[in-house]
Amino acid sequence: MSDPLLAVRGLTKGFSDGVALLAIPSLEIAEGVCWIVTGDNGAGKSTLLRVLAGLEPAGADRASFDGRPLDLANYPDSVRREIVYVHQHPYLFARSIAANIRYGLARRGIAGSAQVSRVAAAIAWAGLDRVRDVLPARLSGGEKQRVALARAWAVSPRLLLLDEPTANLDATARVQVLALLRELALAGRTVVVACHDRELIDLPHAEQWHIDGGRFERRR
Amino acid sequence: MLDATRDAFRLLFSGDPEMWGIIAVSLRVSLTALAVAAPLAVAAGYGLAVGRFHGRRALIVTLQALLSFPTVVVGLVLYLVLSRRGPLGAWQLLFTPEAMILGQIVIALPVLAAFTLAAVQGADPRIRDTALSLGAARMRAACTLLFETRFAIFAAVCQGFGRVISEVGCALMVGGNIAGSTRTITTAIALETSKGDFSQGIALGFVLLVLAVGVNVALAVLQGRGGEP
Repeated sequence: MSDPLLAVRGLTKGFSDGVALLAIPSLEIAEGVCWIVTGDNGAGKSTLLRVLAGLEPAGADRASFDGRPLDLANYPDSVRREIVYVHQHPYLFARSIAANIRYGLARRGIAGSAQVSRVAAAIAWAGLDRVRDVLPARLSGGEKQRVALARAWAVSPRLLLLDEPTANLDATARVQVLALLRELALAGRTVVVACHDRELIDLPHAEQWHIDGGRFERRR
Repeated sequence: MLDATRDAFRLLFSGDPEMWGIIAVSLRVSLTALAVAAPLAVAAGYGLAVGRFHGRRALIVTLQALLSFPTVVVGLVLYLVLSRRGPLGAWQLLFTPEAMILGQIVIALPVLAAFTLAAVQGADPRIRDTALSLGAARMRAACTLLFETRFAIFAAVCQGFGRVISEVGCALMVGGNIAGSTRTITTAIALETSKGDFSQGIALGFVLLVLAVGVNVALAVLQGRGGEP
């Protein structure tokens, strides 16, 4: 049996006054699974995703990524390039959509014609052809979310972490983003989604996990 | 006064070599000082904004205190250091444009660093997270953040320029106001006014005003751009 993609034993994260926000005895994300993480506001869903993305430090007895030991307080660049975190309200750099998508590719040493074709494929995948020349400041919330997903899709991360991807979207934008998320899940990508969205929660083949009072348990 | 003003504009638009030489010295000294101070100060401001280390709070308080440090005291300290009996007396820099550049670097550093610190602290925290999450190394993420806040950073540089182009205390102390060499706009205004010759003082004052207004207009434009979504 192969190693889980990401495994953590004894994950802890607390507030400065000592109150525990996360206390997870064991967490193992196998490659190719889709996890939906639910929980009330303030339960720690976003914090968990940020910890797994290496954007916030946390304590752990033991952690590993693809079998390699991992310090949750200090991710090496090589691991961060395997994981992409998409914020609930994604930040798009003040440059073109293509340049936004190129950013991650350039960080991974993908340049030239490979970069050009990957950018074009990402724009097509996310249905952004119609707005490809529009600057991010003029995009709607749904379009920004799709650019952020295209940016993540283009670099083919081993682990994709999505924080409330359909929150604050109108009905049309939500449908478009949900379609992209279904594609990701069905394509066998390893995806962890924090959300309240019923349609995401009911995604077939997705495991449902729930955070409550710092505890993390499987529901389905 | 009217005659002096008329003579001042005549001096300005006639291309008087002495006056334009003074303006050239001012711009050369201030722009060189900024070119040296800006990278150091922006790096320091960024480090203070994102770093978490012992003494960080004390450093920030010290930086903010240095914002109002009298320029004549900077000049005095530099004079003592560069004078023949000072530790750097052998460099023979006193009363040279290079000494003035050194002084203006010292004056500009805290201004640039403090405004950069404010710009980075005020920057959207998602910028760095997004850069890191897309695989940027920490140095690259820092450059990305600074690029995304470039209007605020450039506003910091404008503030620094405004501070050094208009300072007189340090320039007088370490430059000596030598004609054709270390005479700047501000030291020339001080000299000419003390001699009772107001034409050149008014002309140079007008140039300083144009530079100051120009900097403020640039700041207003940049602050507007920086506020755009």
